[in-house]
Amino acid sequence: MLQAQQQAQTTDIESRPAGTVAGRLLRAVRSGGSNSTLLRQIALVSLLLAAIFPLFGGSFFTRLAIEALLFGCIALSVDILLGYAGLLSLGQAAYFGLAAYVAALMYLHVTQSFWLVLLTASASVGVFSFLLGAVAIRAKGVYFALITFGVAEILSKITHNTRAIGGSDGLIGIPVPSIRLLPGLEIEFANNYVFYYLVLGTVCLLYLGTRRILNTAFGSVLRAIRDNSDRVPYLGYNPFWYKLLAYVMAAQIAAFGGLIYPLLRGFVAPHLFGFEVSTKAVVMSLVGGVGTLIGPLMGSVIITFLESVVGSYTERHLILLGIIFIVFVMFLPDGLCGLAQRTFGAGRKVKP
Amino acid sequence: MSKIATIAKLGVAGAFMLALAPAQAADPIKVGVVTPLSGTYAPIGKQVRWGAELVVKEINAAGGVNGRPFELLFEDEEANPPVAVRKAEKLLQQDKVDLLTGTVNSGSTLAVGQVAERNDRILVTTVSYAPSITGAQCSANVFRVNANAYMQSNALTSWLIKNAPGKRYFFIGPDYEMGRSTTSAFQNDVKRLGGTDVGATFPPLGAKDFTPYIGQIRAAHPDVIMTATAGNDTVRLLTQLKEYGILTDKLTLAGAAGAVTQENLGAMGGAGEGFLSAAGYSIDIDTPANKKFVSMFKKEFQHDPDLFAADTYGLFYLFKQAIEKAASTDTGRVRAAMEDATWQTPQGTKKIRKGDHQAVVDMVIVKVKGNDFQTVGKVPGEEAVGPDDCQKF
Repeated sequence: MLQAQQQAQTTDIESRPAGTVAGRLLRAVRSGGSNSTLLRQIALVSLLLAAIFPLFGGSFFTRLAIEALLFGCIALSVDILLGYAGLLSLGQAAYFGLAAYVAALMYLHVTQSFWLVLLTASASVGVFSFLLGAVAIRAKGVYFALITFGVAEILSKITHNTRAIGGSDGLIGIPVPSIRLLPGLEIEFANNYVFYYLVLGTVCLLYLGTRRILNTAFGSVLRAIRDNSDRVPYLGYNPFWYKLLAYVMAAQIAAFGGLIYPLLRGFVAPHLFGFEVSTKAVVMSLVGGVGTLIGPLMGSVIITFLESVVGSYTERHLILLGIIFIVFVMFLPDGLCGLAQRTFGAGRKVKP
Repeated sequence: MSKIATIAKLGVAGAFMLALAPAQAADPIKVGVVTPLSGTYAPIGKQVRWGAELVVKEINAAGGVNGRPFELLFEDEEANPPVAVRKAEKLLQQDKVDLLTGTVNSGSTLAVGQVAERNDRILVTTVSYAPSITGAQCSANVFRVNANAYMQSNALTSWLIKNAPGKRYFFIGPDYEMGRSTTSAFQNDVKRLGGTDVGATFPPLGAKDFTPYIGQIRAAHPDVIMTATAGNDTVRLLTQLKEYGILTDKLTLAGAAGAVTQENLGAMGGAGEGFLSAAGYSIDIDTPANKKFVSMFKKEFQHDPDLFAADTYGLFYLFKQAIEKAASTDTGRVRAAMEDATWQTPQGTKKIRKGDHQAVVDMVIVKVKGNDFQTVGKVPGEEAVGPDDCQKF
């Protein structure tokens, strides 16, 4: 009875005239509060720094920055789930890895067309995340975390033990492709700087798109679910569909990182599904600031660079990652964005 | 504007100095070592590191390579190909190393080999034994100086067929990709060389109880049991086989080189007695070169060297010889000098096969006796090395 009522109410909301929804969307996008003003400034400064970075980076650090942005996509997808829907996923690497494998297999055996690869990888992740999400988001709290963790591990083991897709060795020999943007306009991935700005631009678009979507009523409902999911049905929203949509959207963002990875490194391996990749993404979003969207991307850049530099001096670099995690959990739970907020924003809270 | 001109002048001056720098005699030959220094494979990475440090100290003390010393740059690859590739790019693009080595698991070797190829440098593995590295997935920029899995299996089975009493072979492999492929290599070699395959069983990796498999083993009445298990799995398998009375004097135990090692032998309580395996190196090889290597190694690190240290140590003499012959560190010329090279190592003479870049290594058959490994036989490298399957260069 209650459920039927909920469903009726949900459909009621969904069937409102498009004009109202668009109006709401516009209002939501325009209504940048004081919190998001600072976040926007942070995002702008980060973008400027990222834009001039290759001038100083040289080829290795430029390519490392590409990798940081790709892994940043997993962190961003963790943040959508954790910061907005209140779902802790310990298996976002599943979508990164899945897209990477689909892209690699397509490039090796089917086509050299980037757009076709993009479509296939995105569609496979879409279907998989819809099916898994429909099951996983019924579970709450730690059980959701365990299901996502388990599925990522299963995918990792399947690839590890399937000889046809390279087994434990993974697949090498993925060519460095070019994208045909328009007839006659080809973009070469072989040029590190072109590659970098292409990825930076796309990640910016993903970030802006995510921010817009989460600033609409959809984002507000997600936040309401995060804060008290039992009350949301009484407001006329069915949390299931909102969470599922957020889950599928997050998976798509992680998948973007995954599908570019083989183009950067030329190979895929079962390690891309690994628990380390998933948990590192959680640490990255924590370091940057959960629920800020820009924070996880910053966190990814910081952690990737820190690991690369520190790793050359000591083999105990994992201890450093552990210490960073503990320090942030204990003293800076709102991450670097929260710290910036307290320093520059006169004590306001970052989280909306 | 004048400022920019000054900077430009400085830049030109700097470029001149850089251009002049390589002419100096003491300019080091940089070798990047991407190897696992943390995690499960850290003990292997440590042996690789020790082997490299010892040989570089020795070569540099004796005047280096045409007066140029070797310089080692280590990076921890965590036995994780994505990490290994990132570290290898750092060594190649940031540190500008001349040569790469150190990768342990075959996934890392294949992926780093591809990075080496795309950056026009050479990678030599001293540890990975997957046949594909010098087979189906070979690369003109990748060499291997250690014995591969094919050579281990081929040498061991051909020795067993000649020397073990009885022709009935039973196979045990952990149920995952590596276990299955090692077991199938054993099975193929046994059948090819005239043995009888009387059955195989694949317990899960990390199995605690082997009872369900023991009935099948007993019923097959094997003369030889070959296992591809490793670590604690071998400990449990062999102790349980012993408890069930299967390990008799008539039965020969054999298996992969990693099945019984110094690390897990102690835990077996004698169940590993007589276990045979084939390897490219054994610490008791009775040559002056090996004795000198072992004693120097022990003195330097208070630890016994294993095959990973020995293969890594030997590699730098190949580098030295090739760079001296090429009179440069140019990749193309060094590659040409390495192909068909014959050089001396603690294991004896090694030779690179030009067709697939696999080193031809004499194999030793080692047998567990008490808490030690004893050399009981030798299979010449030419006999063990098998066909050249590389078709890419």
